[in-house]
Amino acid sequence: MSAVTLAIPSKGRLMESAAQLLESAGFGIERLGAERGYRGRLTGIDGVDVAFLSASEIAQKLRDGAIDLGVTGEDLLREKIAPGDPAAEVLLRLGFGPADVVVAVPEIWLDVATMTDLDEIAESFYERHGRRLRVATKYLNLTRRFFAEKGVTGYRIVESLGATEGAPAAGIAEIIVDITTTGSTLAANALRVLDDGVILKSCAVLAARTGVARVPAVAALTAALESALQMGRTG
Amino acid sequence: MAGKSRAEREALERQNAAIMAVFERAGFDQIAPDIIQPADIFLERSGEDIRARTFVFTDPAGKEMCLRPDLTVPACRFHLSHAANPAAEARYCYLGPAFRFPDELLSPQEFTQAGLEWFGAGSPIAAEARVLKLTISALEAAGLTRYRVTFGDLGLFAGLLADTEMPDRWRRRLQHHFWRPHAFRDLLDSFCGMRSARRSSISALVDKVAAGDALAVVAAEIASRNLPAVGGREVEEIAARLADKARDRRESPLASDKAEQINRYLAIAGEASDIDSQLKVIHGGRRYAGARDDYVRRLFEMEELGLNPRRFHFAAGFGRELEYYTGFTFQVEADTPDGVVAVAGGGRYDNLLSDMGSPVRVPAVGCAIHTDRLKAVLA
Repeated sequence: MSAVTLAIPSKGRLMESAAQLLESAGFGIERLGAERGYRGRLTGIDGVDVAFLSASEIAQKLRDGAIDLGVTGEDLLREKIAPGDPAAEVLLRLGFGPADVVVAVPEIWLDVATMTDLDEIAESFYERHGRRLRVATKYLNLTRRFFAEKGVTGYRIVESLGATEGAPAAGIAEIIVDITTTGSTLAANALRVLDDGVILKSCAVLAARTGVARVPAVAALTAALESALQMGRTG
Repeated sequence: MAGKSRAEREALERQNAAIMAVFERAGFDQIAPDIIQPADIFLERSGEDIRARTFVFTDPAGKEMCLRPDLTVPACRFHLSHAANPAAEARYCYLGPAFRFPDELLSPQEFTQAGLEWFGAGSPIAAEARVLKLTISALEAAGLTRYRVTFGDLGLFAGLLADTEMPDRWRRRLQHHFWRPHAFRDLLDSFCGMRSARRSSISALVDKVAAGDALAVVAAEIASRNLPAVGGREVEEIAARLADKARDRRESPLASDKAEQINRYLAIAGEASDIDSQLKVIHGGRRYAGARDDYVRRLFEMEELGLNPRRFHFAAGFGRELEYYTGFTFQVEADTPDGVVAVAGGGRYDNLLSDMGSPVRVPAVGCAIHTDRLKAVLA
């Protein structure tokens, strides 16, 4: 059996937390020099290579089959791979990096509490202004899936690759779908989360290409991480 | 399959020539609407569900364009740019490629659509029967022998709703939710007071509005919380919706027998020629009775054209996924050993041309045939 490849984020808090968790489970990360440290392998277990990738690439590479395992945010994973999609499965929720993907509207929309309100607004917005309500987001698929589930159709997405929370004030969109940890950025931009507007309660996850979970090295790695998480919780 | 071989191409062309001959013999002018279309018409009109399946791109000038996902909107655009008077009668047919991200078996991402659109027909009901007849004749000319026809009629539903006593804004919301069965049922229940009004994050504000002047309450709230004016909606609009919410609380609930009538109507399904025996059990009023008359006249027109409605199926809930239709809707499915496959559909869409900028209302009815799917079924 050739080695499986585990991708972990190449920088930031997700990378630090992933490295800490691996260490507490008894594994080390050995970087291999030739490719300037973007590849390595796990010590403490045989047959697990490591690839350092940007967190947003990991879900796509899982889908493409370029990697076997990945640590990434659930938001980024679910944007590329819907629950129930046979391409990949979540083996473990790792707990760190907690954040919610939410639907937020301007605070001044005092008459809007729920997605049902939003649907009604969308209809009257079209009648009054002759164009669709615009949603700024980088989560195109999560947004489409959630809005369809809630029966909201009269909107259009404006893709936003940064500072999404500023889109309503800038007049680029009326509402946003974005990730938030404390809600303070939303509040600072005079935005408010809808009562039923939490799309996903996200945290970092260990995800695997379907079928990979049965590989012995992967099963051992998953079990060790799981008990390290439990120790962390109780200890 | 990256393209068609000579034999495959010729077989499809032969099939489609037979279809188009039927349309042209009936007096429909064959037009060639643009393949590349401004995206906004599709996106503004269809919403995000179609957008998700449409190939959208930006031209060098920064304008959002798309590959047409359907030919009805391009045919409407052609009509609005060519007809001196959009409401004057016009009959078009077309044959050409359309493009969508695939979503189900047998739907390739580029496919050839044949269809016709009839604008401003003098006798709307006769035109509906005729469009169905032409669709079936075209399919038969292509070689289809085993098929089933289902239709629905949004006119009956609109008539029943108009005859049911309730505040107008409730009616508008029910009409809007016709396309979403779950949301529809929840809404109907809430109007009957079957579910106690749930408190939400804005209930406290609705309390205040109920006890005072909506605009003053909203203005005071905005001032005290120093809320910036973002999001493009006027303060008056926000206050008016809060006032509606306050009024909804005082409104006497919809009688449960009325709601029951609506639910019973939506459950009606059966052999199309026999459906009036079920329709007449529902107690509507004048408008519902008018829609029933239209239904019976349409059956009569179908028979006049040599169709046999005893072979057709009616379902009151049919057309719940097709948002721009406004009246008669139909679908033709081919019977295959592996189940039924939808090969054609159509119906009445009286609001689309005004939505696209026509200064006058243009009655419209049309159909579209998915020719690649038909070819696959006949292979």
